[in-house]
Amino acid sequence: MLAEEGDRLYALALRVTRDGDLAADAVHDAFAAALEGLGEFRGEARLSTWLYRIVYRKAIDLLRRRGREQPLEEADEAALAAEDGGGRAAAWARPPDELLLGAESRQALERALQELSPQQRAVFELREVEQRPTEEVAEVLGIPAGTVRVYLHRARLKLRERLSPHFRGGRTR
Amino acid sequence: MKCDELKRRFAEYNDGALPDDLCAEVERHLAGCPPCADLDRDLQDLQRLCRESPRPCLPEDARKRIERLLQGGED
Repeated sequence: MLAEEGDRLYALALRVTRDGDLAADAVHDAFAAALEGLGEFRGEARLSTWLYRIVYRKAIDLLRRRGREQPLEEADEAALAAEDGGGRAAAWARPPDELLLGAESRQALERALQELSPQQRAVFELREVEQRPTEEVAEVLGIPAGTVRVYLHRARLKLRERLSPHFRGGRTR
Repeated sequence: MKCDELKRRFAEYNDGALPDDLCAEVERHLAGCPPCADLDRDLQDLQRLCRESPRPCLPEDARKRIERLLQGGED
């Protein structure tokens, strides 16, 4: 379970906290809480959804306890934007035009994501990156599906505004 | 459909939550409105950028700590 879910849970926690240590703590604390509360898992939700929900709450709690949002360290930013290290598609495997959306675009994306709230970032990570269904994202965050759509749309518009030079529409404007 | 309405409907359109008739209206509008078509293309590029970005890995020390926890040997 850890092998399958660990990276996904860490990605959500990192997106929310923007801090590698806090994110790792959130995942650890979530597994500890899940072990304690396993009896409460009723099987109505998928196990992964249940774990996502616990990690999300732990990440928000840790962020609140820290008291304020911290900017992402450059090393973390570079790691998030890196081409290698478990990436889903190798840069060399893509046609030259697609390389326009390369490491530079990813760094710009990470910077732009700092402007979103932790909740918006969680919606963005789960829906846009992980492609989880809207209803599942709503369940994880404890908000209505319509609110998930609104958060995601606002996040997309804000990111588009910041990243438009990297996109096709922006390059032709 | 005008640009304002398209912008209001865009979240549901992108989420596949719009009824077929409204979807068709959105698509007709996109075919004839360059600024809205640019928006649509940019949002597709954003989606591609996100989905092609590497997922960060849970650091090894954290993974080991959690493995010990799951085996009942820590915390």
